[in-house]
Amino acid sequence: MKKERSKKYRLIQGLRILSQAIFFFLFFYLLLGTHFTGEDYIGRVEIFFHFNPLLALATFIASRAVFISFILAAVTVAMTFVLGRVVCGWVCPLGSLHQFLSFIFKKAKLLKPKDDENKRLAWKYYLLIFLLVGTLFTLDLVGIFDPLSLLYRSFTVAVLPALSHGFEASLALLYQINFPILLDSFTQFFENLALNSTFRQGFLVGLIFIGILLLNLSRERFWCRYLCPLGAFLGLISRWNILKLKIDEQKCIECNLCNMHCETQASPFPEEKWRSPECVYCFTCSSICPTSAIEFPVGSAPEKIESVNLARRKLIFSSLLSVVAVPFFSLSPSLKRSSPKLIRPPGALPEEKFLQKCVKCGECMKACPTNALQPALDEAGPKGIWTPILVPEIGYCEYYCSLCSQVCPTGAIRALSVPEKTKVKIGLAWVDKNRCIPYFLGTPCIVCEEHCPTSPKAIKLVKTEVKRPDGTIKTPAAPVVNTDLCIGCGICETKCPVVDKPAIFVTSIGEDRSERNQLLLPLLKEDLEILD
Amino acid sequence: MKRRDFIKDIAAGSLFLNFKPSLFAQKNFPDLALIQGDNPAVLTRKAVASLGGIGRFVSKGDVVLVKPNIGWDRTPQQAACTNPQVVKTLVELCLQGGAKEVKVIDNPCNQAKRTYLRSGIAEAAKQAGAKVLFPNKHRLKKIPLNGEWLKEWQVFTDFIEVDKIINVPIAKTHSLSRLTLGMKNWLGALGGSRNQLHQGLDQAMIDLAAFFRPCLTVLDAYRILIRNGPQGGRLSDAKLHNTVVAGVDYVAVDAVGTTFFGLNPHDMPYLRLAHQKGHGEINLDKLKIEKRTL
Repeated sequence: MKKERSKKYRLIQGLRILSQAIFFFLFFYLLLGTHFTGEDYIGRVEIFFHFNPLLALATFIASRAVFISFILAAVTVAMTFVLGRVVCGWVCPLGSLHQFLSFIFKKAKLLKPKDDENKRLAWKYYLLIFLLVGTLFTLDLVGIFDPLSLLYRSFTVAVLPALSHGFEASLALLYQINFPILLDSFTQFFENLALNSTFRQGFLVGLIFIGILLLNLSRERFWCRYLCPLGAFLGLISRWNILKLKIDEQKCIECNLCNMHCETQASPFPEEKWRSPECVYCFTCSSICPTSAIEFPVGSAPEKIESVNLARRKLIFSSLLSVVAVPFFSLSPSLKRSSPKLIRPPGALPEEKFLQKCVKCGECMKACPTNALQPALDEAGPKGIWTPILVPEIGYCEYYCSLCSQVCPTGAIRALSVPEKTKVKIGLAWVDKNRCIPYFLGTPCIVCEEHCPTSPKAIKLVKTEVKRPDGTIKTPAAPVVNTDLCIGCGICETKCPVVDKPAIFVTSIGEDRSERNQLLLPLLKEDLEILD
Repeated sequence: MKRRDFIKDIAAGSLFLNFKPSLFAQKNFPDLALIQGDNPAVLTRKAVASLGGIGRFVSKGDVVLVKPNIGWDRTPQQAACTNPQVVKTLVELCLQGGAKEVKVIDNPCNQAKRTYLRSGIAEAAKQAGAKVLFPNKHRLKKIPLNGEWLKEWQVFTDFIEVDKIINVPIAKTHSLSRLTLGMKNWLGALGGSRNQLHQGLDQAMIDLAAFFRPCLTVLDAYRILIRNGPQGGRLSDAKLHNTVVAGVDYVAVDAVGTTFFGLNPHDMPYLRLAHQKGHGEINLDKLKIEKRTL
């Protein structure tokens, strides 16, 4: 018998690796391009998300509304229907990352093939059920676990900022030793990327991401095997695909190499034990087989397919858990009283709708030119973890920019034109007269007024009598906020020279998207004149 | 550049080269050139020519830094940043005058990339052959300024390392200094907590201008900002003023700039102070101003 690895399948495996590299590069390219590049309107840099049927379904159910861009998810569904989970094996950038790390860990002998843990395979299905049942009750936690959201969020909030800090540090070193060659070009290139490098939760999100990556030390593509809810979803609909594994029993020498190196524990040997829904069509088995015994001929359905093996009791349990989670996640006061720090990006839907749609992917945070958008921790309640909030202590909302609204993949932030955006109120500025330099020292300072971007300015300087600490009276010009004109962009807070705790600050009251979080009712002008 | 302009430039340039020693004897230069017309590039070129041409300020092989106001994320029509054509023309002149390299840099208030691109200055300056640099914190150094008030501050080292500096501000209203003209423009050369300088802005402007000491100040008043300064916003906040002023005495340039807003140099505390301390002339009648309308 001829002992030879299949050339055809080694070629296909090579193509698969190329495809993974291309899609990962595409992901990275689009992510890096998610910032102001000179045009007011950015292309569809968020397009990966729209091919994601899990996000499409979850957002649709949770918000009871169709977001038209998600029509592209039909492509993924159709492909999975016909070809199985090829998207996991050939396209998914997170899957590629996991696989690359598994490969490295294997080469470094840190990861050795172990016995299959068949029970764990079901975890991801239970997680999927848990998430989808939650969406029925408008609890949208899918974004926490969705592989794309996870990847984008982790890269935006942790990986790129860490790279950026590393780059900065090496640049600083080069400047210190006066290293002349190309230094300016390097720095200009780097500045041009406009990476946001300050994130309040960068460490936490990064730690979780590293943890997930390190799981590859335990099992190859641990995340894809046991945890990924999108993989579970695609597995469920791949039941009827036409690419089925076939082992030539004449050739097979039962060496078990295919099982050992199967990336997702689909167990190619023996054929009748092969788990079609777990297979991501990486073609490792067919290319590694020393006798070319494994093939994936089109349309040859084996008599019996090992389908997803789920315990009914656990299914019911995970659904129930989700039902219990719904009220549990509503315990927070965030919907009872608006949080002053819950300043949402311009165009954000009313809070309840927003939480049903936001998938916590961090695209808006990547696009923000001033690093102002930050992942929430508790400001929006437990449902709102990692949703975007504007933190004026870090950055402000750039007046002529509407990028965050354009890149939101689910419409949680309504796409706005720049002229529309300049009219949206996201909060209101308040002067802390106890800390404001003119108010308590009588010393001139006009920084907030100078930076106020509206025309006419929402911050006016008014001559104010001030008793200074030494008892003398001065009348400096001091800032006053016009509540009608202020849009809450927060640049006053960002730039305030009282740097530790700014003497002017923005809270969410007055935001356009809320009916309740308002300060003043518009009174009748005639009445006011009479009463005066 | 249109062919006709090009030929004109060549002609002007060769004239300049031919007659340089005899025509421009040092003492005949006006203090200020105030040129009016409807093309910012031509205004700039004429203003510099009236002062004796770029050769008076830039020597062969010089590295020159052109410092425009790129402070805000606004378009040229909004008149919050220096007119890109004025910047471009100055870069061209410097290079034609033999400068080895021309750098353009400013530390803006809004995101640098947005201000550089949307003001049109980055592109215009690059077209003219300048090296346009984003300010980055590695180039900041604490420098002794030896001012009366400002003893030291974080300064972008480019400003120290170059041979010549040309200041190219735009004329705008400002709530604290009333107007922001040439001397206020130096805040863009600084890093650190420069917002605190507003607590003593008049003296800060004087110390900074004396420290940076530009070889030439070209005040862009092609469009001026008459309201809601220093950012404006609405197009109606800007007014077409069709003027460019150039001069060596930076106090004098600012002094004449006040008149564009219906003010008198003596209305401006910082100018009175600067004059008293001997930094420059603010009495317009004592200045030799070459006024021309094209």
